[in-house]
Amino acid sequence: MTAIESPRPASIPLLRVAAVTALVATGFFLPRLLGGTSVAYSTLTTIAIFAVMCYGADIVLSYLGEVSLGHTVFWAIGGYAAANLSAKYGLNGWVTAAATIALCLAAAAFLGAVTLRTREFVFSLVTYAAAVVAFEIAFNWDAVGGSDGIVGIPPLKLPMLVTNFSGAMQEDLWPVAFVLLLLTLAFIARFRRSRLGTTALMVQMNPALAASLGVDPRRIRLAVFVISAPITGLAGWLYAYQRAYVGPDMFESYFLVMMLTAIVLVGRRILLGPLIGTALLITQQNLLSLGGDWNKIVLGSVLALVLIFWPAGLVGLYRRIARTP
Amino acid sequence: MNIAQQIINGVVLGSGYACIALGWTILLGVARLVNFAHGQLYMLGAFVTWYAITRVGLPYPLAILVAMIVLGVIGLLMQSAMMRLVMTQNLTSLMIVTLGLGYVLQGGSALVFGGNPQTLPGTLARAKLEIGSLWFTWQDVLVLVVTLFLYGAVWLFTQRTRFGSVIRAVAEDPKLSELFGINAKVVYLGVFVFECSAVALGAALVAPRSPILTSMGFNEVIMTFVVVVLGGIGSIGGALAAGLGLGLFTAFFGAFVAPAYTTAAAFALLLALLVIRPAGLATK
Repeated sequence: MTAIESPRPASIPLLRVAAVTALVATGFFLPRLLGGTSVAYSTLTTIAIFAVMCYGADIVLSYLGEVSLGHTVFWAIGGYAAANLSAKYGLNGWVTAAATIALCLAAAAFLGAVTLRTREFVFSLVTYAAAVVAFEIAFNWDAVGGSDGIVGIPPLKLPMLVTNFSGAMQEDLWPVAFVLLLLTLAFIARFRRSRLGTTALMVQMNPALAASLGVDPRRIRLAVFVISAPITGLAGWLYAYQRAYVGPDMFESYFLVMMLTAIVLVGRRILLGPLIGTALLITQQNLLSLGGDWNKIVLGSVLALVLIFWPAGLVGLYRRIARTP
Repeated sequence: MNIAQQIINGVVLGSGYACIALGWTILLGVARLVNFAHGQLYMLGAFVTWYAITRVGLPYPLAILVAMIVLGVIGLLMQSAMMRLVMTQNLTSLMIVTLGLGYVLQGGSALVFGGNPQTLPGTLARAKLEIGSLWFTWQDVLVLVVTLFLYGAVWLFTQRTRFGSVIRAVAEDPKLSELFGINAKVVYLGVFVFECSAVALGAALVAPRSPILTSMGFNEVIMTFVVVVLGGIGSIGGALAAGLGLGLFTAFFGAFVAPAYTTAAAFALLLALLVIRPAGLATK
């Protein structure tokens, strides 16, 4: 199923709005429905943050067909921007979020521009190398945290016109994570229907057609890569507040493997795919953990096995089972 | 005198880079395949050598052989699992699969070998050779000699023998080569097993220079990328020249600018090249 032919029941908009509203309301009260414990809150907040992180990489992988191995850079930019600006200068969440978006756009524009002429695996190599180099810089440059990172990030403050929100506890961060996830989903849904989204898909699926229509594939690639960066960046921004610590471990390959696995597990180009994938993986890691090294084996194996045996993900597997009686 | 020492250090480093990158060069250049588990395979090669020496008690040369065989078998298993993706030339999925398998190797190695840093005993890494104020070890000489020999042998094999042309035919068009009675699957298996054994050999030779950890491998993989792309993808002579050049660059950059940022500097070099010459230095 591609974004272009995805079902669009325009004839019954009321029903659709009602269903989405019900789903959103259920989603918001999900931690309370699951008992309201702090474990429920922190697990669901982590799922929301990681899902947003995955959606950034998802745009590039699903709609551009390229594998960006450098999205941990944007993830870390978000984390480091939040940590440095709030811990050292006492700036509030709006400012750190704006800084995250600006820095991610700049970094993605630079990385996208230098890799503009590279082909598929060279693009992946360079983005991967960029992540390793960014790690080296974050590890050695004491001004942004160095090898120890930054401890004692103050609680997230988002002053609004009337209220003065402050997220000190996991329970307080959940609404922020949930809203960020909703905004991301709305953005992705909009992107799928947008001119850029459909053109990117055309460039990936039928480059000859795209070329004959006068589309410049490089411009499309750069644009998609650049808009994907702040999404992952904002996830890193919230992750810094959730953990109250930021360090070079934000570059760990865990996050990269996590992004890719969550995207391919359910199936590419499915709106809720990365969210469901993230939920399954985080549930395994947080609630059914087998220990760090075994979790690595599980995560890596899931990634490899899905692509080898069911390239269309769980949705493809379901369709195949449904078709053969 | 410091400059002469840095040239020696550069050649020492560079022959190591070239040695580790050989398998990747062949895999990418000759078979058009990619393997993001390369760094983890390097780590595993070093640890299997370490295990064979310290736990089994084998002498160093035999331990190298054991590492090459073990990694070859792992390569055989990996490539067999990925064969469908390889035959359909699905490079995007292949990249991600090797990344996932590398992650599995990292987790598995941490379980088997533990999380502590280890050193490889019984090698030539402590056999120092001094000429005036200059110094290097016999291990460095070994790496350089083996690297030069391997590059020569591989170049002769791929360019001058019938098997070499068979491999290149499969790389050009696997479907078409099968029409000519070539079993493309066997060729792909062979090339991948070679890549894994070559990286095991590289690891067994290069890793004794520093302590080994199951979390290592990233630095090696980046240097391999830089060597392969700088040398012009698939060019064997280019990779050797790029490896040595990168070694000299790293040695001088580390000695005179900032040792902590050598990987970043190598990467900046790569970026600059990609902007100027996207196809690498070796192309005309």
